[in-house]
Amino acid sequence: MKTCKLLIVGAGAAGISAALAAWDAGCRDILLVDRASQPGGILPQCLHDGFGLAKYGKELTGPEYVMRLMEKLNRTDIVFLPKTEVLSVSGDQSAVLSRRGVVERLYFGQMILASGCREKNIGALCIGGTRPAGIFTAGQAQERINLRHQDLGDEIVILGSGDLGMIMARRFTQEGRHVIAVLEQEAHYGGMARNYHRCIEKYSIPLHCRRTVREIHGKGRVCGVTVEALDSGEREYVTCDTLITALGLIPERELVRGLEDREWLFLAGNCSRVHDLVDSAVAEAERIGRMAGRRLSV
Amino acid sequence: MERCDVAVIGGGVLGCFAARELSRWELDITVLEAREDVCTGISRANTAVVYPGYDHRPGTWKAEICVAANASFDRLCEELDVSFDRCGSLMLSFGPHADAVLQKKLRQGRENGVPGLRLLSAEETYRMEPSIAPGLSSALFSPTAGTVNPWQLGIAACENAVQNGARLRLNTCVVAIDREEDGFLLKTNHGDIHTRAIVNCAGLAADRVQELLHPPSVRIIPTAGDYLVLDKNSAGRPVHILEYEPEEKAKGLTVVPTVEGSILLGPTERENGVDYATAETGLTRVRELSARLLPELDLGRIIRSFAAVRPNPQHPDGSPIHSFCVEHPEERFWSLIGIKTPGLTCARELGFHVTKQLAKELAAEQKMQFNPKRRGIRRAHGLPWEERRLLAEQQPDYGEIICLCEDVTKAEVLEAIRRGAGTVDGVKRRIGTGMGRCQGARCEQKVAALISEVLGLPESSVLKDGPGSEIVRAAHENV
Ligand SMILES: Cc1cc2nc3c(=O)[nH]c(=O)nc-3n(C[C@H](O)[C@H](O)[C@H](O)COP(=O)(O)OP(=O)(O)OC[C@H]3O[C@@H](n4cnc5c(N)ncnc54)[C@H](O)[C@@H]3O)c2cc1C
Ligand SMILES: Cc1cc2nc3c(=O)[nH]c(=O)nc-3n(C[C@H](O)[C@H](O)[C@H](O)COP(=O)(O)OP(=O)(O)OC[C@H]3O[C@@H](n4cnc5c(N)ncnc54)[C@H](O)[C@@H]3O)c2cc1C
Repeated sequence: MKTCKLLIVGAGAAGISAALAAWDAGCRDILLVDRASQPGGILPQCLHDGFGLAKYGKELTGPEYVMRLMEKLNRTDIVFLPKTEVLSVSGDQSAVLSRRGVVERLYFGQMILASGCREKNIGALCIGGTRPAGIFTAGQAQERINLRHQDLGDEIVILGSGDLGMIMARRFTQEGRHVIAVLEQEAHYGGMARNYHRCIEKYSIPLHCRRTVREIHGKGRVCGVTVEALDSGEREYVTCDTLITALGLIPERELVRGLEDREWLFLAGNCSRVHDLVDSAVAEAERIGRMAGRRLSV
Repeated sequence: MERCDVAVIGGGVLGCFAARELSRWELDITVLEAREDVCTGISRANTAVVYPGYDHRPGTWKAEICVAANASFDRLCEELDVSFDRCGSLMLSFGPHADAVLQKKLRQGRENGVPGLRLLSAEETYRMEPSIAPGLSSALFSPTAGTVNPWQLGIAACENAVQNGARLRLNTCVVAIDREEDGFLLKTNHGDIHTRAIVNCAGLAADRVQELLHPPSVRIIPTAGDYLVLDKNSAGRPVHILEYEPEEKAKGLTVVPTVEGSILLGPTERENGVDYATAETGLTRVRELSARLLPELDLGRIIRSFAAVRPNPQHPDGSPIHSFCVEHPEERFWSLIGIKTPGLTCARELGFHVTKQLAKELAAEQKMQFNPKRRGIRRAHGLPWEERRLLAEQQPDYGEIICLCEDVTKAEVLEAIRRGAGTVDGVKRRIGTGMGRCQGARCEQKVAALISEVLGLPESSVLKDGPGSEIVRAAHENV
């Protein structure tokens, strides 16, 4: 029977940090699992800098931040299992793990869920019109552009002005694409002021508040959207070939649905609540990791 | 020139079943489908209900075949290895107007021979479905109603037809029909085909296809309907199909607990069915009705909206037609025109009906070795973990998860591609990738990459759905 003392699901910033803290608290026999082939979660696709000001006193890029965490991880005997999906978790403190050629059941003493977030998508919005190609969530677009070097389109409308929406507006602009507008339904942009200055103002990208997309047009590919000004009700057709949705993040906890109250389960990082800054996700994860580690080392 | 005995025009659920029924006979069959895949039209956007048959006037052919089709649905789905949930339905009334409608349906149903129909009191109904809104007056319970995944049913029928010798030609649109000696000449965008007989199942275009050779007898007037889909594991999910009959003179709402575990809500009725585009007003209406009927339902769990197009048949003078139009304008030319609800339920029966007569006209012999069984793609999801382990040991790709929401493995995606899925949505229709709460945000790229790998296309040529739906562009791919 396969066992480990501490199972950590997700090797993003939170998962790695929780693992390190548990190790430092004296826990041995830690298994860190991630479906991706690389550690770091969302960070490897964040090529911009702006990570780690609180923790390291300077601004690192996402991959640099991961490198720092991995340097520490490599000095421990924490086992990192990449390309492995945690399929299910049961009340008897076991999990089913799946990877190429292997499906196995693992019993654990404690578990830290560090599974991050998923993005809210267009499906949730009940927008009228067609459902053509050319609609991406901001995170999906970021991964395609930064890691796969794909070309998504020329004329971009971005729906949602959270950090992700603003960062992607800058990214498309840097790639030589035309960001027609970033639209925000609230009266104020959604993300941090820092990102507004660095991504929107600096590149003079139009950001319109109190506006939303009401209808999507196009048969094969997006060819335009109907934009409504929420205060006047006025509508206008905007020609574009790509629609990026930055509608916010939802903590990903499906794996432990119905088990949330078990005393062997901890949540850390973005799956517990959305952290705007990686340092805050890490601080939380370290606290959780220490707690779980202490319990297990006695 | 290519020749066949029967050309089936249109690869929707009706064309697929016509082909399957025809393939029981010693006939050379070709299915001609204009799009890149089968079941991309009406058959992919509908209510997914296998109706019991109380909606139709007693004595009509529609009533007769609907009841018969429903009765044989378990066997059909077993043969084709498609999930079917005979969950039963409740038609719900909140007042005198709807009570009268229920009474009428009960009478009709009994006369039509629908088994097990019962009128329930409000208390009985609440015991069966506690999340229905207060104020219920009565309900019509129909234990034989069920739900099936419509496009998977059609795809299964098509695969079975091909297994039994039928040919499928995709991306082939019939643009003209000429009469020839011993049959017809079909002109398509990909060459001419000589055929001895035609079965026209062109869905929304069936009237126009018949008119390529014959004067108009039925016209299709499309109208649209909007739907919403709620995520799996949603609180307040009913166990039965609910049909809400409102008191006011307006279209009600059908709530379907789908075989996939999601909840389907809809449809509305509105003008202008073009391009399967949803209307905001329609979606709002579905939300309102859903909240009214099932107050506990968390509409924050909506994961998708879509629209359907109804092929409403009319006489050339504009009066509506209520029966199924099976047109037979001349020997060996059959058309199914304007087949609305319950066309999905009756797809096999309609195919059977046309085939029976066509086989006679062509003096065909029954095949000795017809195999009615088709195996679906082996799913890992839902298996006990020990079985998944064995599966992954035998086929390593069963260990790799591609779609996280719906738990679909690489092995299943590859098999879907092998069976003919050439687009991201084609894979979705066969195996469910991208149907869940993230709507493909996390698997679309992986599926596209697999299609690109298997079919040897650059990723920039992989389509999401129909023509012109390339997902990424060629420029600096894979640098
Ligand atoms: C686009 C973007 C830009 C950002 N910019 C900044 C910034 O400039 N500065 C800053 O400080 N912060 C920034 N943040 C915030 C910060 O990066 C995040 O809060 C932090 O990285 C979250 O880490 P996490 O470990 O909780 O989640 P994630 O990084 O999402 O990691 C979760 C991991 O869990 C894995 N996983 C989930 N479920 C399973 C399962 N069942 N089986 C196996 N593996 C699983 C996933 O594959 C993933 O690797 C940004 C975030 C985003 C999304
Ligand atoms: C809103 C709605 C809800 C419904 N709900 C239910 C239900 O719950 N239960 C039920 O039993 N029934 C239901 N139905 C009915 C059922 O969906 C239809 O009867 C059935 O799907 C019709 O299938 P089809 O094959 O005729 O059409 P389609 O699926 O549209 O197939 C027609 C095909 O023909 C192709 N084609 C067109 N022209 C040409 C050409 N010239 N050359 C080659 N190919 C061509 C098209 O590309 C298309 O693929 C519903 C219908 C609607 C509209």
